[in-house]
Amino acid sequence: MISPRIISIVVLLVGLVILPHFLKFHHQDFLIFLGINILVVVSYRLMTLTGEWSLIHIVMMGVGAYTSALLSKSLGVSFWISMPMAGISAGFVAALLCFPLFRMTQFYFLIGSFAVGEAIRLAWIYFVKPFGGSSGINNVPPPEFWGLDFMEPIIYFYLVLTIVTICLFILYRIENSRIGLTLHAVHWQAPLAESVGVDTWRYRSLAFIIASLFVGIAGALKVHYLGIVTPHQFGVGTMVFVLIWVILGGYNTFWGPILGAVVLSVLDESFRTFEALRPAIYGALLIAGIMFLPKGFESIAPKVRAWWRSSRASPSP
Amino acid sequence: MELFLQSIINSFIQGGFFALWAVGLVLVFGVMGVVNFAHGELVMVGAYTIWVLHAQYGTPYLWSLCLAILLVMMIGLAMERFLFRPKQGDPLGGLINSIGVLFILQVVAHVVGGTGPAKQVAPPYAGTMIIGELLRIPYQRLFALAISAVALLLLWYFLTRTKLGWSLRAVAVDREAAALQGININRTSAIAIGVSGALAGLAGGLMAPMTNIYPTMGHNVLITAFIVTIVGGMGSLSGAVIAAVLYAFLHTFVTVYVSGTIATMCGLLIMVVVLIIRPTGIMGKRVSE
Amino acid sequence: MALLEANNVTMRFGGITALDDVSFSIQEGEIRGLIGPNGAGKSTMFKNIAGFYPPTQGDIVFAGNSICGKTPHAVARLGIVRTFQETTLFQELTVFENVLVGCHLQARTNVFSALFGADRAKQAKAKQKALEVIDFIGLSDRKEQLASALPLGSQRALATAVALASDPKLLLMDEPFAGMNTEETKHMMDLTTKVVESGITIVLVEHDMKAVMGLCGYLTVLNFGGLLAEGTPEEIRANEQVIEAYLGGTA
Repeated sequence: MISPRIISIVVLLVGLVILPHFLKFHHQDFLIFLGINILVVVSYRLMTLTGEWSLIHIVMMGVGAYTSALLSKSLGVSFWISMPMAGISAGFVAALLCFPLFRMTQFYFLIGSFAVGEAIRLAWIYFVKPFGGSSGINNVPPPEFWGLDFMEPIIYFYLVLTIVTICLFILYRIENSRIGLTLHAVHWQAPLAESVGVDTWRYRSLAFIIASLFVGIAGALKVHYLGIVTPHQFGVGTMVFVLIWVILGGYNTFWGPILGAVVLSVLDESFRTFEALRPAIYGALLIAGIMFLPKGFESIAPKVRAWWRSSRASPSP
Repeated sequence: MELFLQSIINSFIQGGFFALWAVGLVLVFGVMGVVNFAHGELVMVGAYTIWVLHAQYGTPYLWSLCLAILLVMMIGLAMERFLFRPKQGDPLGGLINSIGVLFILQVVAHVVGGTGPAKQVAPPYAGTMIIGELLRIPYQRLFALAISAVALLLLWYFLTRTKLGWSLRAVAVDREAAALQGININRTSAIAIGVSGALAGLAGGLMAPMTNIYPTMGHNVLITAFIVTIVGGMGSLSGAVIAAVLYAFLHTFVTVYVSGTIATMCGLLIMVVVLIIRPTGIMGKRVSE
Repeated sequence: MALLEANNVTMRFGGITALDDVSFSIQEGEIRGLIGPNGAGKSTMFKNIAGFYPPTQGDIVFAGNSICGKTPHAVARLGIVRTFQETTLFQELTVFENVLVGCHLQARTNVFSALFGADRAKQAKAKQKALEVIDFIGLSDRKEQLASALPLGSQRALATAVALASDPKLLLMDEPFAGMNTEETKHMMDLTTKVVESGITIVLVEHDMKAVMGLCGYLTVLNFGGLLAEGTPEEIRANEQVIEAYLGGTA
């Protein structure tokens, strides 16, 4: 009675648990960042459910990263507290920003969110105390638990796998709940939703806050692996990657952005030998993607299914 | 006192550049409805062209400048033809395409210039004009200011006194109506981005002898162009020019007396305030949905 | 006490006066027709009442309380819901989901409840209500269909259902009969009568005179933003000023 979907997820998880043992250090590294980036894109997608695209998402990741770094390095707080705090602080900052930001919509929201994000980033650069300025904060301690060595990629990978899976589960539940339905309504017909009592401002804000909360957690995961956080990790370049993963992967389904992040990250890795040319290849992929697959990678699945069905049907006379 | 007067002069010069940067962005957005995220990179290409032609190969500066203008104009035209035209009516798609171009151009710059420290171009108009006891203005900067002003005036003349310019404005105001009146939208878009590219190339070329040249220098250009464009009004060129000068003053003085980082932060926050209170900017009329 | 009162409502947009000192009151249980030639200000009045923008001057009182300046969702919470000109529905959602969104006010939940299923009872009630409303308007056999797949008449009925799902006391219907053929019109008229019989007050903006005369007990006529006349359908039909307004204008 268990749905095939649940079975495939379990199989996937088991596979992911086994996988790193067969990989070199370098690829284990890659998996860790891929896991973190998956959390980043899926949390971003929650926002796009309301039809709003922001450019501040990656900066909220930075807010989480800096919070966790400061708490654990300067105040000696354990990772297991600083990580949720990272999420909470990102959510809190998002809540504050709702007031100015959600007075704008669509295009202006995009630009406005970019401006606020950039201003925050500049604050990290300018205020050397406590943010460490341009060089950021280093020597951020890894998590501690039962004597496990979290600087081992494989151990950290399991940490990321666990936390990201839990977060994705929560995000999935939210999307398929009443709240998800209301977010859809706000996106497609905001005036209609308003007329039946939906406070659209509230729901846009909610999506933003939740998205920021989860990406804040992703930020903590990142900083405790790298051991360092700098303002340059959270600039426009990185934000653009997130956008690309979401748009090319497709954002109609929950899995689209994940697909985008995985496919593009793997492709990007494969071109590692062409170090200098990588951004150009990425740019070309971007253009090709938007021209030929405007609905994203996720749209391939229904197309394949339809083709499969039609090729199995008997040819008409 | 010296510093104060000097800053005033610098503000005007910066204002000229900010205006050139912003005006190109507004043209493309107004006529084509798309935000060209690669706009900063177009300026960067202009600067690199000067470095390659003038600093590396010794081509006279003025020729290099003309070639820079031409080159970037052609890149702009190519973008319109192959990237923006197929995505008409899909601003997000056009934007993504422009991001793709952003990446590609940055890599081209890397390849052309190699890695290593930022490039520099020795000013072809060396020497400084000295006014009274207080002011020193390098001739290069005067040149840049003069050319910027001339370019903006030419643009103004083009848009208000020529038939072609009027067709650009017609499309910007009401696309459908313009098409119904027989204006060729594709051609108009091409002209808009061609002019935008030319201005970007010019800006880059003028900047080259005055600043560090590196592949990501477009980032700053884009941010400034956005701030100026939003504050001045998304569809308004005169608004952009006024905002450019005002912002240049703000930025220059804050940089001198506080810090460059804070200056940009102020600019960003002002932009946010404008977006909240009056999204169409000081003089803008066109509101995008 | 009147259910809804408009007191000296004036609405100006820049140089245009869309509504000029309009006053009327609506009793509970009525079907009131708000009619007038194009541009008379009927939709503007609706938007004022439903909270899309406040009137420049004047006040709107609902059940004794002023609702001037309240946002649409606040107004909905008080019991006033509006349907829109040109069928407005959640096209990508099914009939059932559309109505479910309408149940928002009863089914509102917070993130924690949604996550841990603590609101299960609430959601079940909302679903039940949605099914009842769908049954009421007669779309039960189509409830899993996409809204975009429905014919026009059914889409309008669905729009009404979405509004009904929020349990309104006052329903503002904005030209629901536009573009309908005779059969669809009859069906919609029956539905509208059914709604009023269930205790909901209706204000109807409409150009289709057959529907207006057949449904409404009382009419309020606007012209050029001002109140022209009020009366029963028979009185209005005979009113010379009204006849002239329609014939002389662009009805």
